[in-house]
Amino acid sequence: MKYFKLWAPAIALALSLNLSAQTPSDAILMHKGQICLAALYTHDTWDEYWEGTLKRDNGNIGTLTRQTVMPMFALGITDRINVIAGLPWVRTSASAGQMTGVSGLQDAGLWVKAKAFELKTGESALTLHATAGLTVPASNYLADYMPFSLGLGCIDASLRAIVKYQWKGWYARAHLGYHVRGNTTIERDYYYTTQDYYTDEVDMPNALDYGASLGWWNPKGTLKAELTMDGLQTLGGFDIRRQDAGFPSNKMNFTRLGAGMQYYPISGTGLGIIVSGGYVVAGRNMGQSLVLTGGVTYQFHIWH
Amino acid sequence: MKKFTYLLPIILCLALAFWSCEKDLPTEAVIEPYTFAGLDENGGNWDPVLLANGAEIGIPAPADVTSAAYLAELEDLKNAAASLSSSQKAAVQYWGGNALVRWNEIARELAAKYNLIPAPNPDGTYPAPNAANPSQYPLFPFANPPYTCRMLAYWSAAQFDAMIAAWYHKYQFNRPAPHEVDSSIETLLPHSGLPAYPSEDAAIAAVSKAVLSAMFPLEKDFLAAKAEEHKNSRLWAGMNVESDLVAGDSLGRAVAARFLARAATDGMKNAQTPKPVSDSIAQAAQDRFGWHWENLETPQRPVGLTPLFGKVKPWCVPNIVDVRPGPPPAPGSPEFQRDAEELQDIQDNLTTEQRRIANFWSDGLGTYTPPGHWNRFASDALLARNYNPLRTARTFAYMNMAIMDAGIACWDAKYYYHYPRPSQAIPGFQTILGIPNFPSYTSGHSTFSAAAATVLAHIFPEDKAQFDAWAEEAAESRIYGGIHYRFDATVGIETGHLVGNYSVVVAQADGAE
Repeated sequence: MKYFKLWAPAIALALSLNLSAQTPSDAILMHKGQICLAALYTHDTWDEYWEGTLKRDNGNIGTLTRQTVMPMFALGITDRINVIAGLPWVRTSASAGQMTGVSGLQDAGLWVKAKAFELKTGESALTLHATAGLTVPASNYLADYMPFSLGLGCIDASLRAIVKYQWKGWYARAHLGYHVRGNTTIERDYYYTTQDYYTDEVDMPNALDYGASLGWWNPKGTLKAELTMDGLQTLGGFDIRRQDAGFPSNKMNFTRLGAGMQYYPISGTGLGIIVSGGYVVAGRNMGQSLVLTGGVTYQFHIWH
Repeated sequence: MKKFTYLLPIILCLALAFWSCEKDLPTEAVIEPYTFAGLDENGGNWDPVLLANGAEIGIPAPADVTSAAYLAELEDLKNAAASLSSSQKAAVQYWGGNALVRWNEIARELAAKYNLIPAPNPDGTYPAPNAANPSQYPLFPFANPPYTCRMLAYWSAAQFDAMIAAWYHKYQFNRPAPHEVDSSIETLLPHSGLPAYPSEDAAIAAVSKAVLSAMFPLEKDFLAAKAEEHKNSRLWAGMNVESDLVAGDSLGRAVAARFLARAATDGMKNAQTPKPVSDSIAQAAQDRFGWHWENLETPQRPVGLTPLFGKVKPWCVPNIVDVRPGPPPAPGSPEFQRDAEELQDIQDNLTTEQRRIANFWSDGLGTYTPPGHWNRFASDALLARNYNPLRTARTFAYMNMAIMDAGIACWDAKYYYHYPRPSQAIPGFQTILGIPNFPSYTSGHSTFSAAAATVLAHIFPEDKAQFDAWAEEAAESRIYGGIHYRFDATVGIETGHLVGNYSVVVAQADGAE
């Protein structure tokens, strides 16, 4: 019965890039006609960041806090195909300096996930899932002024492959995604990256996201615990220069280690609780975030 | 439910579609080579900025077009034209539209590249750029607005004098263009109708190389390569023979040397003061007015940006104190309260349009600064009118001298009044833009912009309303950004117009009108 459990921690990344929303990158599917509703809160803070490859703090930022509230759902269209959607609301603020934080809706996301392959032998199973996703800015938030900006402000189309091997209550999973990004716009028609640009459009580099996890379900199927590693590699982009501000088309990379738990406290009600945490251990042009997520999920059948 | 399986390929196609339709973003102006709207045949008699007149710097008389030496040069020209590479042809197009606008674009790009404020040391102190050791961090220069306005003023005033001198000799010697001597020469650019000796392009390249290399010493090689390409593009285009270029180059270098000699003694090297001087300037304001501005960064920057830029030698304003505005309202006074409340109200209820305006004009660190922004406007206005290089240089010169004078006047007021920024004077006040490292009153954006708009409106009167509207919006943008009071902006605009008029008066008397 494990396949109907929705595992959806840590949607917002260090810079809320929507790249590694775990739901699109896990190997779990709702049954046909079944829906899972989720509400998640993510608290992401850092007080050091990588300016290019240089790790530093910034007395005019202090601690940067990024809070994300994200309602989402996953719906089983068939037993093999799910549709997932989410709409995060984000707020940023700094503990020092005089820059005001911002808040608002970030990027609406829609993903289609399908089971492409399954091989079962005895107590083990090997599965391959594929996810195609699209995120689109849901408000006219400003992508300029990283790290205060809510997001990158661009359309992001992604394809992701997820491999999972399961043996009894244990499983190992890995995913790799490719993101094609459209241009973002900023409210000035000239900017300098490594050269001049006379436009308010910014060509956004594409990116890879990846991850691996090792997990375990208790025999009753009411508790899952997982260790995770995930990351982002921006394909192109440029480094923040010394004491310069961040920019949407920076080369943003990170590697993060984390752990998560999902628990179904009352059997048969469809109610679940999610807790996870992650810490960025390496990065480039991003903050060294500590990311904590908590949320509730509720699943039920709409049709049979 | 089967139809949902089609979603996957549809999303894939969409992804590929917007991947493939992404096109290259513009990184420079598109300038089609054009025929000059007028030649200004008497331009050699106009009054230059530093030179006594167009004749002052002499060049050797050119060889006659029937001489063996000239005919050999023509032969070289034909040989070069017969085997042009595609990159040489591209260079002809790049430089062949309006070379001054091209160099202005390069100057702006360098301003943006070097407009980075020093990062603090681990112990909380700050390093400073050192002109004697430019490649040591922080790189020299820090191309902030005072630095950039001065750089552009020297570059453009020197170009103006070089063009007056070039015009003088052109019409004195009247050497025809190669294609007029030998009709078999096919040029890649429109025939200009100008006498060819000395080459105006070689003079422009030489001035740009000399002035910009002095202002951006780490870019010397880059600038030399650009200047070489610019000069050679005239050969490749069949527009000038080698001796035209040699004469233009020597004229340009001589003019640039005059301007760099002025730059060496204009007071800029004292503008960034040591802390004791900076502290005494703040104390003087405290004693005089009962307030002083403080840098609020962490760690605190010990000295504001160029406290003595107000003492740098102006171009057209004889005595900068003559344009110093009256004092701002005292913090806590009813006038102050009114404008402080307006700021708080704007930050609490910022509209999309206000945010857009604040960002559009922000021109902060890592950009070409407000003086660069106005050079871009001037470039667009010039290109729309097919101006010849002499008129182009004149426009840049008067505008940039006015902008630099405006900067000097503004900095004089800033450090004389030493007025606190809104974030210092209003408890808990937060902004959407970063706060510059210098006092509030008056607004630099407003002063720079009004001075630039005044000169541009004089030269292009049909666009006056547009220039004035831009200046007003630039001034307003700082209020929306939360970094200036309305009185900073209003008085800055007044001072800018006042300063700009000094340049206009000089322009009216230079013989070009």
